[in-house]
Amino acid sequence: MKYRLPIHRSPIYDGDVPQPSAEGTPLVTFGRYAGPATLILSSLADGPKHGYALTKDIEEFAGVRLAPGTLYEALSRLEGQGLIAALASEDRRRPYELTAAGAEALGAHLADQRRVADVGLRRLSKSWGQT
Amino acid sequence: MSDPADRAARLLRWYPRSWRDRYGEEFAELLTAEAQDRPRCWRRSADVAVHGLLARLACAGLTSRVQPPAARLAAVAGALAAFTALAIAMLAQLATGWQWATPRSDLVTGATLVMAVAAAGIVLTGVGGLVPVMVRVLIAIIRRDRAVLRPADLALAGVLTLTAGAWHFANSWPGTGGTGPGRAFVPGGLAAFGWSSTLSLSSFWAHPALLMRFPAGELAWMAASPLAAAVTVLAAGSALRRLQLPAPLTRYLARLAQAATVFAAVLLAGAVSWLLAAGAVTPGLFRPGLVDGAELLAMAGALAVAATLGRGLSRRNAATATGRASLT
Repeated sequence: MKYRLPIHRSPIYDGDVPQPSAEGTPLVTFGRYAGPATLILSSLADGPKHGYALTKDIEEFAGVRLAPGTLYEALSRLEGQGLIAALASEDRRRPYELTAAGAEALGAHLADQRRVADVGLRRLSKSWGQT
Repeated sequence: MSDPADRAARLLRWYPRSWRDRYGEEFAELLTAEAQDRPRCWRRSADVAVHGLLARLACAGLTSRVQPPAARLAAVAGALAAFTALAIAMLAQLATGWQWATPRSDLVTGATLVMAVAAAGIVLTGVGGLVPVMVRVLIAIIRRDRAVLRPADLALAGVLTLTAGAWHFANSWPGTGGTGPGRAFVPGGLAAFGWSSTLSLSSFWAHPALLMRFPAGELAWMAASPLAAAVTVLAAGSALRRLQLPAPLTRYLARLAQAATVFAAVLLAGAVSWLLAAGAVTPGLFRPGLVDGAELLAMAGALAVAATLGRGLSRRNAATATGRASLT
């Protein structure tokens, strides 16, 4: 016998669904690298870092350890879009810094994510009593 | 046990040279530091291998990532070269038939002619593109530009191998001795060369017992010629990517690639017409086999790749022309 789990179906689209900006943020074009790219930009927001420092910082604040291949794929895409820039290095480890375009893109992307988070939390609070 | 630096250097080999030139040192540093944290981690190795291979695909213009025009151009040229090789194999088979008889069906005749004219168009556009590129290669050779010299030498070796081998094995061409009325229409030497250069594209691979009856030299050629062709295409693509092509020449080559893609589409339409018209009714010489169906599918795939990448190239050219390239 098959059982269907009860699913609470409150109206999902009630008019307060966040609408992304018409052009979207540059990170939208990153596909499955949008997550790593957001983490990298967030890490660089407080100053330049090289690859290993980025890995450790992201692991500390997000609990995610980016694998080297994934990290550098996202880094090369971010650099290609002008959202980060490589700095001159004193040794073989090259630090990267956030550019003005990168700061703007990160701000817009996080604002979009915040709107989604706000809607989700508000609905959880309304329907499930979670705060 | 090797030390972390050695392991990092080995892992780095998954990536293409251009990527290593840009990120190699810092990436090796990261891998070494990671290896000190966690000496053995198969997930890390797998992640590097996957992304290295993806970088190689991206370098060849085969992913959605925006590539420099030269890289995209090289990928389009490679796809068109693969298409042309398959088309030559198909046309050589039909040319063999023409040595002995003309097709009974007007549709088959028309399809063959369309394919031949379209193939001539592809070859002409290829020559039109090759001449200025060869001039740039000669300039690079005079300047001793080693980045271009190495792949150019390899491509030349591949071309010489293909030419010499095809020339040698053309002597055993099955069309030799034909007395059909179409014999004067199809240049026998050209058809023989096309047949022997694409000898590896054969349904005999599916019949090992028959294949083993071939002379050892011919079998060796059937195995070696696709390798030589692959080396030629890859090395020529590598040389093209490394040439510093001026923007007007890149635009000219992009237009030629688009023209060649149109000719390829016409040729494909001719091939489909031949398969549909001759498949069920035509006996003997002009009757297509399963290998032709497989070739047709591969040609369609190569054409799709060329058309997709070529569209991106023209969009990029348009963006460059209007000063929007940096936003793509």
